[in-house]
Amino acid sequence: MKALDRKLLRDLWRLKWQVMAIALLVGCGVAVAVMSLSAQRALAGAQDAFYADSRFADVFAQAKRMPASVTRDLSRLDGVTTVDARILESGLMDVPGLSRPAIARVISLPDDERRALNRITLTQGRMPDPNRLDEAVALKTFMEAARVRLGDRLTAVIDGRAFTFTIVGAALSPEYVYVPAPESFMPDDAHQAVFWAPRPAVERAAGMNGAVNAVALRVAPGASVPAVLADLDRMLAPYGGRAAYAREDQASHAFLAAELKELSTSASILPPIFLVIAAALVHLTVSRLVEAEREQIGLLKAFGYRDREAAVPYLRLAAVIGLTGAIAGGLAGGGLAAAIVDQYREYFRFPLLEPRFHWGAFACSAGVAIAATMLGSLAAVRRAAGLSPALAMQPLRPTAYREGLLDRVARDGSVDQATRIIVRNLERFPMRATLAILGLASSLTLLVGTQFLFDSLDKVVDQAYYRTQRWSESVGFAEARSVAALASVQRLPGVFAAEPVRIVAARLKAGGREEMTRIVGLDPGASFQRPLDGLDRPIPFKGRGLVISEALAARLGLEPGDSVRVEVIDGSGPAADLPVTALARDYSGFAAYMPRRELNHLMGEGDLASGAQLLVAPDARPAFYRAIEGIPQIIGSSSRDDTVANWRQAMAEAFRVMISFYVSFAAAIAFGVAYNTSRIALSERARDLATLRVLGFGQGECAYILVGELAILALAAIPLGMLGGQALAHGLVAAYSRDEMRLPAVIGPRSYGISLLAYLAAVSLAALLVGRRIWGFDLVTVLKTRE
Amino acid sequence: MATAPPAPGPKVAFDVRGLSKVYRTGAGDVHALRGVDLQILAGETLVLLGPSGSGKSTLLNILGGLDRASSGSARFHDFELTGASETELTRYRRRSVGFIFQFFNLVPSLTARENVALITEIATDPMSPEEALARVGLADRMDHFPAQLSGGQQQRVAVARAIAKRPELLLCDEPTGSLDSDSGVQVLEAIVDVTGDVGATAMIVSHNTDIAGMADRVIRFRDGRIQEVQPNARKLAPREVSW
Repeated sequence: MKALDRKLLRDLWRLKWQVMAIALLVGCGVAVAVMSLSAQRALAGAQDAFYADSRFADVFAQAKRMPASVTRDLSRLDGVTTVDARILESGLMDVPGLSRPAIARVISLPDDERRALNRITLTQGRMPDPNRLDEAVALKTFMEAARVRLGDRLTAVIDGRAFTFTIVGAALSPEYVYVPAPESFMPDDAHQAVFWAPRPAVERAAGMNGAVNAVALRVAPGASVPAVLADLDRMLAPYGGRAAYAREDQASHAFLAAELKELSTSASILPPIFLVIAAALVHLTVSRLVEAEREQIGLLKAFGYRDREAAVPYLRLAAVIGLTGAIAGGLAGGGLAAAIVDQYREYFRFPLLEPRFHWGAFACSAGVAIAATMLGSLAAVRRAAGLSPALAMQPLRPTAYREGLLDRVARDGSVDQATRIIVRNLERFPMRATLAILGLASSLTLLVGTQFLFDSLDKVVDQAYYRTQRWSESVGFAEARSVAALASVQRLPGVFAAEPVRIVAARLKAGGREEMTRIVGLDPGASFQRPLDGLDRPIPFKGRGLVISEALAARLGLEPGDSVRVEVIDGSGPAADLPVTALARDYSGFAAYMPRRELNHLMGEGDLASGAQLLVAPDARPAFYRAIEGIPQIIGSSSRDDTVANWRQAMAEAFRVMISFYVSFAAAIAFGVAYNTSRIALSERARDLATLRVLGFGQGECAYILVGELAILALAAIPLGMLGGQALAHGLVAAYSRDEMRLPAVIGPRSYGISLLAYLAAVSLAALLVGRRIWGFDLVTVLKTRE
Repeated sequence: MATAPPAPGPKVAFDVRGLSKVYRTGAGDVHALRGVDLQILAGETLVLLGPSGSGKSTLLNILGGLDRASSGSARFHDFELTGASETELTRYRRRSVGFIFQFFNLVPSLTARENVALITEIATDPMSPEEALARVGLADRMDHFPAQLSGGQQQRVAVARAIAKRPELLLCDEPTGSLDSDSGVQVLEAIVDVTGDVGATAMIVSHNTDIAGMADRVIRFRDGRIQEVQPNARKLAPREVSW
């Protein structure tokens, strides 16, 4: 080993804590990239394999009732390669152990398994006997969440007919990898039951002899999906067809796709932040090292080393820091990806979801990380190369200081000398102070900018379930019914009040753009649901005008006063141009509202309601639920309390891991920056401080000089970090918002408080570690050493 | 070994008995001091001479409260240094001891005045920084930063800093070691003048035998022991010292 290499190793060992603090940041950057992209690869891999294996469809459509022969006609459509027709019915089901009825979907199994689409994968038990009318397999997630076992007998009420069957198997389906509840997009697995039974059994239960009501299609590669959708809508219209939709709009797939996109976003936002800060710290640390070793550098050159040879060790030092961090980050990233995949198994049900390691992401991020640290050292390396040996070996004059701000404001003796030392140092090295402040601020930025997610979700829940919607339970009818049916709902146990609601699916078109949405028809003066404006004031309806959510308006480029083409998909599929009268602020889903009367009028129907929103006495809920199970027309029910509780739990679980990553990462930045800044200050001032100790200063007084500087930097970074946090929050909101949910950038005092605590804890730890070195000073050596 | 004669007149400032210092190193024990006995009188000026490693700096460090003896005792008036706690030693340095270093050890971010104020702020009965600097002939350089001063001037600031608290004991470790002879003489003059004024006991460690003439007594060290104690019949003024 060459002498210079040995020196490099010793320098690394001597600076090990500083090196580790910087490598920690590099590691965080690489870890986030490796973690996100590895998790993404695992998820996408499981998705691809499951979709291919189960022949997941490209296009879906439902109708009221169509002859089985429709399959033949659909398969002749341009671009369609496979058509699978089936019966899909919904109803309510009492599940022992659940307080509220579950929503049961019953799907017919294909006659010819080989030609079928959306094939299920049996994970337990067996497939139902095709000749029996009382056997079914159930979605595994439902069985686990509702504690249903093989052999259990359940009864679903479909269209007023009881369908009783025995569970003989558990299955997974590409259509139900993720099962969002109807009123939120969070999973509520216990109340989302899906069953597959042989066609004759479902035919009998649904009263659909020789008919089907759902089709799934595969489209040839390169064929136009929108064209197929249009053809489907046209062909199914006579059978009471509802809007056909592509895989992108299929609930389970859409959620999965959004998750995959988020992982890419994480991989591209965070690592650059870490690497820039790490590069800045490398710059500070190596600059200080070159300064401290200038005599040695001069000596090497005097002995005949070339400029490059004398300077390259510092570049290598930087590269080693980058490499160390990259390796650690790669390992951590792989581990974290496995943890995330573990968590995904709770939400995304695939037959096989295995962690993977994204070598490409590792190689790429490690390369960038090493380049970043080397780039950070470049200024110092150049300085080392440019040092003239004669000058370098001359004893260093004391660093030149001059009077500054403090001297102008406090010339008299009101400021003690220790404070003067602190302030003058900051003024003498403004670049370093700026870098330190920026680094510290960035950690706080990351904390505030991620902690706010909790506040944001609170706001979403509050807005959706306590302001816009204020019902405690809601029920859906199988078919729109006369509003007179409301009276029977009102008589159910515990119901204080009931308001009718009419909901239809529609396509809104404007300026060449179109969006699927649901139009919610409300009675004027309805109190259980009303669109709100940006100031939380209820928006009154005007004539037959639509009130649409801001996000939907943005998508379609609409403003109040504009006209929008409304094509209803339900019923006879009427269409009309309607004015947009106002925009509503909501954070989840796309909705349009209009007076129920006008909506019924548009549909060409009488005074109908498709559901009711209710206020039910909390203690009467069990009786209420028992009662609605006996009403065949009611096929869906939701409870606000359950929805919100579910939502909060799912969000807390989903964010807990992510937020704890962010908090650790941000704390790592705060610690890394604070530790390195103080360490450099200590190395520069060790002799001064030891001199003060000799002259009679106590350890605490010396620590004040060292830690005081850090304290000023840390305090100065706070307002900057808070502002940065707000900016990051807005950025993240833009990056992470999905169709189902748009996060508002609200930051509450709790977020600021927690962020500040974590930040101060990390900075204090660094201050403590560096400050305590003052206790270990060797006072004797300062008498003899020249800096 | 050699013991100073008990002096009936002036008070004894330091009473050192059987003082030893052993450094334990990987290569074995190093005996830096081997049972030193010494009495130092208040207001006395001592010059400690001897080759490197002879023990003179070790004695200075122990008497200055920077290092601890392995055995023996060192009593400063009523204060027993051996066995004192870190806090007690800090208080001792703060109240009683002034230090002058070979490499000045000024705080570069403070002006001459502020470097002195650094000490006067924590001392009990100090002179003003201005007075201390005037005594070392730097009244016109008070607002200069160390980088704006010559080596000799920097060391005179250090002298002012050391005497501003009116110390009872002034410890100088090679105070002229980094200076040319003119600057060195100026610094020694400052030390002699001000120690006389404040009545401090001064101990000067040096390699330079020529400055021994300034001392009341010259202590020669060899191998951790006092080899010789030599009183000077006539103290020379710094100007008369040549090197």
